[in-house]
Amino acid sequence: MRILIAGGGQSATLIASRLIREGNEITIVEKDAARCAHLDETLDAKVVRGSAASIRTLLKAGLDTVQMLIAVTNSDEINVLACVIAKTFANVKVKVARVRSHEFADWRRVADENELGIDLIIHPESDVMERILRVVNVPGVSDIIDFADGEVKLFGMNVEHDSWFAGKTLEELDAAGPPANSLVALIFRGQQVIIPHGAQVVLPGDHVYVCATKQNLDAVLEFMGVARRGKLKRVFIVGGKQIGISLAQELERQGVQVKLIEKDAGRCELIAGLVKKTIVVKGDGTDQATLEEENIEGVDAFLALTQHDEDNIIASLLARRLGVGKVVALINRLSYLSMVQRLGVNTSVSMRLSTVDAVLQFVRKGGVLSVTTFREEEAEAIELIASEGSRYVGKKLRDIALPRGAIVGAIARTGGEVIVPRGNVAIEPGDRVIFFALESVVPELESAFLDNKKRRQLLA
Amino acid sequence: MIHRGAIGYVLGQFLLIFAAVMGVPLLYGAFAGQGDGAPLLYGAAVTVTAGGALMLLPRPARELNQREGLLLAVSTWLAICFFGCLPFYFSPHFASFTDAFFESVSGFTTTGATILSDVEVLSPVLQFWRCFTHWLGGLGIVLLGVAVLPLIGHGGMHLYRAEFSGATSEQLKPRMKETALALWKIYFSMTAVLYGLLRWAGMNNFDALCHTFSTLGTGGFSTRTASAAAFESPLIEYILIVFMILAGMSFVQHYRFWVERRPASLLRDPEVLGYVAITAAGTAVIAGVLIWQQGYALENGFRSALFQVSSIITTTGFVSDDFEAWRPLPQLILLALMFVGGCTGSTAGGLKVSRIMLLSRVVDREFKRMVERRGVFAVRLGGQVVPESTVQSLLNLVYLAFVVNFVSCLALAALGVDVLTAIAAVAASMFSVGPGLGAVGPLDNYGGLPALAKWVLCGDMIAGRLEFYTTIVILTPAFWRK
Repeated sequence: MRILIAGGGQSATLIASRLIREGNEITIVEKDAARCAHLDETLDAKVVRGSAASIRTLLKAGLDTVQMLIAVTNSDEINVLACVIAKTFANVKVKVARVRSHEFADWRRVADENELGIDLIIHPESDVMERILRVVNVPGVSDIIDFADGEVKLFGMNVEHDSWFAGKTLEELDAAGPPANSLVALIFRGQQVIIPHGAQVVLPGDHVYVCATKQNLDAVLEFMGVARRGKLKRVFIVGGKQIGISLAQELERQGVQVKLIEKDAGRCELIAGLVKKTIVVKGDGTDQATLEEENIEGVDAFLALTQHDEDNIIASLLARRLGVGKVVALINRLSYLSMVQRLGVNTSVSMRLSTVDAVLQFVRKGGVLSVTTFREEEAEAIELIASEGSRYVGKKLRDIALPRGAIVGAIARTGGEVIVPRGNVAIEPGDRVIFFALESVVPELESAFLDNKKRRQLLA
Repeated sequence: MIHRGAIGYVLGQFLLIFAAVMGVPLLYGAFAGQGDGAPLLYGAAVTVTAGGALMLLPRPARELNQREGLLLAVSTWLAICFFGCLPFYFSPHFASFTDAFFESVSGFTTTGATILSDVEVLSPVLQFWRCFTHWLGGLGIVLLGVAVLPLIGHGGMHLYRAEFSGATSEQLKPRMKETALALWKIYFSMTAVLYGLLRWAGMNNFDALCHTFSTLGTGGFSTRTASAAAFESPLIEYILIVFMILAGMSFVQHYRFWVERRPASLLRDPEVLGYVAITAAGTAVIAGVLIWQQGYALENGFRSALFQVSSIITTTGFVSDDFEAWRPLPQLILLALMFVGGCTGSTAGGLKVSRIMLLSRVVDREFKRMVERRGVFAVRLGGQVVPESTVQSLLNLVYLAFVVNFVSCLALAALGVDVLTAIAAVAASMFSVGPGLGAVGPLDNYGGLPALAKWVLCGDMIAGRLEFYTTIVILTPAFWRK
């Protein structure tokens, strides 16, 4: 597919490199000359220098020849405008714009009602916020991801030394009688990603992802030795950017006592006007004395959400040391992600990854509903609809020759039934199937899921 | 750079309009056949001459700037109080120019303090003029000018801010002139309604007109020496109560309620809620004291309490009962209510309810800051964040008010006025209430005070009406620096 990316920032680079690896032709429009040179050196893509709000520049970059436009410049206005231009001057099939304003919901309405032709408005802050809200209550869990409209849950957890299943194989784990419809879907060990099979041993220090249905999530958590905590009482947030403020507002609405720590005095005043019960503190969240003085002792969750990865990591580690049970860090550099987990930060979230995930679902072919990327993009969870003509449909899972490094995590039937399947289950047409796979086998998997007719169309 | 000629020219325009306004009581006198308009006629003649002379100054080429706006607001008020006092001065009932000027200032600032021991000796035309000054001064004489005069243009905003009461001067319409017209429209409509109700309740034409003017302007001049008590009609008292309370609410909110039909704006306004709550609480306590300790009948005690609380909190100053005969607690509550005053954007004086509420929020924030050393807290009023500059200017205003209050009290004491009278007279003047306690109580008048004390109180009334800043800033050297 030919794709035009407006903007050459960090997210754009990430999206571009990912799409290039998947075999797409990428053109990037970027204003800054130095940035252009850098992109040119590091990416196998065409780089055009100019403004994404300029019609001529976009046409010069081949707007009329691409199938997709991804507008992720630093400016919301330019992103929306680029999509409008694409609708007016070229027949671009899919148009995606990133809007970082907190008024994104209203922008979606503006786009819909005026038929601006924007297929997707990405607001990474709200995606990340939802992800944090899901896990903030469960100290032992690093992440909870929803599939099939929340019917299927995937949660991540660290395997501790004293964990009862450390050192056991998955078969042994299975024999211990886990609740029905659950499955260890992914294991991260150091830099290595394992799509596990029965003989796989789980080691202390591993980070595992477990698939469960909505109904038995609590039972599965209990089985894995993870306690859900009662109501949240006190939460610390470090960093008063949009996501920190939105979270504070949401948490105070739920009756949680929130303290938001921000360095900048002017910013503090602004935030104090936006929150109601939250206490805004002007101070350095990476300073132990400050945290102690603000009574970090006994805090239920600590969310480090400044724009600097390093500050977030330091603040999180401090909070861990000061005894906070649940620590969440916002990390933008993917290379930090695996390290952070090993350092003991419970959960790490990334705006860039969530932007990439949102875009990928549109790039992928064949009824893909959602894509979730893990770590440094080594593994993915893909949710798609199985279509009639696919060669996987109608056969029992044990008879399907899935590529090595891929596993079916869950199937949501059209009738509402949700199963975490074993080998004797067959995929039916119309099922929502959730796969876990190494990134390297994703293209193979997807083309296998396309029905033959569509594949021929695409090849032609 | 202050262009004095420009101010003089605009002032001249104001005076010509003002002279025309002086014709209103004369017209009334002519229609009602109640003669003796001579003092007014002379007053108008002098005003026209002065205005005409000022308009001989060259027409200014540009709009007024902020300093000129402030200076114009103060000089307009001084000029109007001066020319407005001429009809009193030309009549035989005022002993000196001081007394006539005091009566005029008291009228335009809607204070309602009088030096007359017997109001009824005045001719009907003069009585009409006396109450009419309340009505003119209530919403703001300058605002009237803004609505009518073309020249003020953008400078009108400065005038509006200088004169229109309250912590924030909200603009109803994008154009200053439209805002002024809208406010006058609602003011005028309420005047018509009150007049009709008072007529219906049995007042004669003259009394109804005069009391309507006094009530809407929250002034307090009455055509009777005994004030509202003279009518001995509970119905009239209740009607006056309702309209005093309405006049003590923001006319901006009235406009939203009645014209734009957005009731939530008025009904959920934190200031209005606070105002109603304070009125209710004050009434409850005073009624309780009157009924249980002083043996008032139930309805009578309630009505007396409500009337006096409404009259004092809206700084009107009507009297339906001799509150000096009440126990100390009700008297002190009334004194405290003088400081509170009505709502922002109303014709009432006082510090204003929103300022008092804001002050409590500021104190509350100070407490929070003491507990959370690094905490940053916003001051909020009804969910809206109040900018730090407003908080600052509020604190300054309260300080200024107290300085003016204290210095005036000292001055009165130095002139031999007793302590209670001095405190009450200054508060009643600064906050445009009218009747005080002691020698200036509800049954007394200000006539007995030393002449110099009357001038001090005139200063207090004008400073209070223009909310201290405007008057005091032109006394600072910085204002006159180039």
